[in-house]
Amino acid sequence: MMHARMHAMTSLPLVLASGLTDYLPIAILVIMAIIFAVVNIIGAGILGPKVHGEAKEQSYESGMKPVGTARKRFNIRFYILAMTFLVFDIEIIFLYPWAVDFTQLEPQSEESMIFFGRILFFILTSIVAYIYAWKKGVFRWD
Amino acid sequence: MPPWLPQFITSMIVILVVLHLSLGAAAYLILLERKVAAWVQDRVGPNRVGPMGLLQPIADGLKLFMKEDFMPRGVDRMLFILAPAFSAIPALIGFVIIPWAGLFEFEEGKTVAIMGANVNIGVVYLVATASLGVYGVGLGGWASNNKYSFLGGLRATAQMISYEIPMGLALLCVILTAGTLLPMEIVRQQLDGQWFLIQQPLAAALFFICMLAEANRAPFDLSEAEQELVGGWHTEYSSMKWALFFLGEYVHVFVGAAFFTTLFLGGWSINPVTGWDLPVLGTWWMILIQFSIVLAKVFVVVAFGMMIRWTLPRFRFDQLMKLAWEGMIPLGLLMLLMTSFFVFIGWTQWLWAGSLGLLAIVWILLPALPQQSNPNRRVGMLGSRFSPPTDDAPSHIDA
Repeated sequence: MMHARMHAMTSLPLVLASGLTDYLPIAILVIMAIIFAVVNIIGAGILGPKVHGEAKEQSYESGMKPVGTARKRFNIRFYILAMTFLVFDIEIIFLYPWAVDFTQLEPQSEESMIFFGRILFFILTSIVAYIYAWKKGVFRWD
Repeated sequence: MPPWLPQFITSMIVILVVLHLSLGAAAYLILLERKVAAWVQDRVGPNRVGPMGLLQPIADGLKLFMKEDFMPRGVDRMLFILAPAFSAIPALIGFVIIPWAGLFEFEEGKTVAIMGANVNIGVVYLVATASLGVYGVGLGGWASNNKYSFLGGLRATAQMISYEIPMGLALLCVILTAGTLLPMEIVRQQLDGQWFLIQQPLAAALFFICMLAEANRAPFDLSEAEQELVGGWHTEYSSMKWALFFLGEYVHVFVGAAFFTTLFLGGWSINPVTGWDLPVLGTWWMILIQFSIVLAKVFVVVAFGMMIRWTLPRFRFDQLMKLAWEGMIPLGLLMLLMTSFFVFIGWTQWLWAGSLGLLAIVWILLPALPQQSNPNRRVGMLGSRFSPPTDDAPSHIDA
């Protein structure tokens, strides 16, 4: 299976990504997207009417007079959640190159076993982190 | 002629075509969404502008351009202006790695890929750009100086980062099955063999759910829950800035559906199982057939998402977080372990059985796992409809 897959990869004349010129279209597209967004924001600002008023400039709070500022303290759970997210997301980013290399190895070979064992340990560390966060009540929102 | 020039020209043509296509699709998806909503709710929907309301998106766009671009007092001006751009730009640059059709043979033995950019990081690029969308939402909510916006932005941020993890895990399962990051190669393996929807049904389900959540679509549109938060993070936005948020959302839906098509529905593959299928290489008419098949699949996926949106009720926020952190992330980790174990053994053609077996094991073991206290328990109030007083138990608290 694995050999057949590697064979299929080389049998067709696939233009493989090779250099920075492959990223040139992306750079041009980013510039196009930025121009699109800027033109829309500025254009609507020029075209639309401009009416000001005391009541109109208040921020919307269901018709009541706004009380205080909105930039207050927020629930610490959002912060802890973000920290937990970092742990898992960075782990996943490390796993992408591993996944590509792992599949190219011969199944059940010694090298493959080393790859598999190491990544098992790596995932195990994050499972420990997960259980710790779970016990600490990070995922409780009630 | 330098060797990279043909691919560059093809890339620019594809980018120009698909950029306009996705902008037009975003406009017409809004019309389709309104029509689907109307049909689900037994209404007619927009039908005044043009035949069957087909010119409605153009009228909407013109109207939004002419509306007042208003900025309330107390906003963080810089971030308030930039947030819509931060929302729209990542959505617009994501589609470049989607293979819209196969390889075009322009000369004997020389081919170009019909993609926006044939880069070697492949699918990781799309994941990276898609997750940049969280800045627009978060900053928009923060800059508005409005409590509804602020809460909506916080919720949206928490939701988008939470669902990014199971999405990454589902994507890892696909990469382990395909053994490559190149989207064209992922599609080719599905042409040769089965669709990854069949090989990895569980990963496909996880990915689809995360796709809806990442785009803030119902039933995951907690961040703009009208009943609770007015408009969520875009409460204070008007005119084209508001439109850019929605353009970003619908382009995100379009690109997400195209990504799902590439990963799980085999791109332009018409045979879900092993056997004869459309070739990768082709001339211009084959490219057109492949392109239309991909677009048809994208349309089916988008329409399915819309049916879900207008059929299912919205989650509550703690349920949303519970689903991501206590449901989908453990399941995703188990799936990753299962897939890598199967790849290690060499049973890659039995991955579908592994997925279903994993689901069965989880189903059986679920009652034995430690549970957290249920926030949904009904607190019985004397005389309420949940605990009417009876002769046996005249009154009790906590049903």
